[in-house]
Amino acid sequence: MMTGRNWRPAALVAVVVVGLIAPFFVQDTYLRHLCIIAFIYAMVAASWDLSLGYAGVFNFGHIAFFGVGIYATGLSAKLLGVDPWIALLLGGVAASAVAAVIALPVIRLQGVYVVLVTFAFSQLVLQVVLSQSQVTGGSQGMVRVPTLWLPGYNFLRDYKFGYYYVGFALLVATTLALRRIATSDFGVSIRAARDSEDYAISRGIPIGRQRLKVLAASAFFAGIAGGFYVLYLRVASPEVFDFSTVSLVLSMVLVGGTSSIYGPVFAALLLTFVSEGLSNVDGLGVGRFILVAVLMVAILLYLPKGLASIFARR
Amino acid sequence: MSLDVISAILVSGLVLGSVYALMASGLSLVWTTLGIFNFAHGAFMTVGAYIAWTASDQAGLGYGLAAGIALSVAVMIGLGIVLERVVVRPFYGQRDFLLITVMSTLAAMIVLQKGTQMIWGARLKQLAPIVPGKATLWRTTISAQETLIIVLAPIVLIALQLFLSRTRTGRGIRAVGQNPDAARLIGIDVSRLFYVTFALSAVLAALTGILLGSVRLLTPQFGDDPLVKALIIVIFGGLGSLNGTIVAAYAMGLVEAALTYAIGIYWTPSLIFLLLILVLLVRPQGLLGKVTR
Repeated sequence: MMTGRNWRPAALVAVVVVGLIAPFFVQDTYLRHLCIIAFIYAMVAASWDLSLGYAGVFNFGHIAFFGVGIYATGLSAKLLGVDPWIALLLGGVAASAVAAVIALPVIRLQGVYVVLVTFAFSQLVLQVVLSQSQVTGGSQGMVRVPTLWLPGYNFLRDYKFGYYYVGFALLVATTLALRRIATSDFGVSIRAARDSEDYAISRGIPIGRQRLKVLAASAFFAGIAGGFYVLYLRVASPEVFDFSTVSLVLSMVLVGGTSSIYGPVFAALLLTFVSEGLSNVDGLGVGRFILVAVLMVAILLYLPKGLASIFARR
Repeated sequence: MSLDVISAILVSGLVLGSVYALMASGLSLVWTTLGIFNFAHGAFMTVGAYIAWTASDQAGLGYGLAAGIALSVAVMIGLGIVLERVVVRPFYGQRDFLLITVMSTLAAMIVLQKGTQMIWGARLKQLAPIVPGKATLWRTTISAQETLIIVLAPIVLIALQLFLSRTRTGRGIRAVGQNPDAARLIGIDVSRLFYVTFALSAVLAALTGILLGSVRLLTPQFGDDPLVKALIIVIFGGLGSLNGTIVAAYAMGLVEAALTYAIGIYWTPSLIFLLLILVLLVRPQGLLGKVTR
């Protein structure tokens, strides 16, 4: 036990240090781009783990929360002229607010109905984006979103140097915050509600309220990730709501291992590089999604707790 | 509102309702028997239609529509069995069976959808109609194929009901749905019936795809919209009862047709969803559902 406790912080510090110095060695723009995309996916996957893994809420609308963040940040920065940094925060707040509203019916439902309603919700967001094309750009996508800025520094310069560090900082902050939530009293209570609902209720845990809070919290980080995504790429299309995005991020959560936060983060970093690497192989542009799906089933079959279970203390 | 408008809404509502009923009945059947929600159901529909296209169309093998339908049904039976074996069966008895199978059938859906895209490409295709020409139903003229859909759907659904209530296999399927352990105890081959159920639902989906494949254009995402609609229908109707699902499917078709007329095609999905949320706030088990499972 003790040794396990001792190596963990050290390993994490090492990972953070590697992340901090990596851009000095990686000068290639495309590799840095992959890193930034991986950071974004890692934030989405890790925050999904909070509601799906820790709280056991069958939330399948998480990519829609990511999408709400994308469009809330993108539209407020582009059309309303909100400062991009504040727009980034708005993305998180909007996703969180939407999650709280959708939680109202969801916390009264059980089992498969939670899956169905959250899935239907993500389709609703897609439909709204498509139908309001004069605002959102519809199926053509949203273009020319402002970039992040700092006084005297242009984020488009230095081969994405600035975006790398903002993305990395957001990922570290998100991971720490999610771990903090998961290990707090609140985190313990949502795990209790997941593992033994009746017992949790009998011990006075307000299950509905806790689940609403956990959905709002997990959506907040997905929204921030969405906001950063659109400020970085400066374009967004409704394709992010596609079933293949859902299954890609879901496979990150599964491969990393649910209820660990760290697992999905590392799996997202790994899978982004694998998936993007495969997309450059001839004939695998579409086929890589099949490989990811097969990997997902294989993990469910042979390693239901994900890769994290290999390293976990037993 | 003139009679013409009412007629147009009723007829297009019936077409939509028939398609949704065929689609949702397969989902409901698998849910009551196996206890899983099959996200690959829409992909079954797509694959079924593409196979029929390949066998029948001049650009494919050119054997004609009858051969196309026959081949499609045969392949779908096989595909249904394979899918049950690979992404459902291994997970029986696990604690998070429902959640795991949602994810594994989602993965299966991705494989089928992207596989379709790789094999047939993204170019639009269209099946030949089973019956060509036009037909007029009480002031509204639609294609003969859409009329066929309206006529065929109740026949298929009644046949399904008769199969489930009159035949030995059908009764077995219902018994398994009610209590798998008891069914096994009285000598029912549960694992065979799981195969039968999955194959049957795959065939129902493919049939929907073949019927719709000459009305709409075939793309790898062909089954997505009907799947999402079927998903909303089973929330309304309650997953547990086939009759509830069918009633909800027709109701949904009519509501959608009326809303599309009243507020346009863009806002209709949002309003249907709003309606869904309101219904769930009052009746968490669905409009027609009973508390089960």
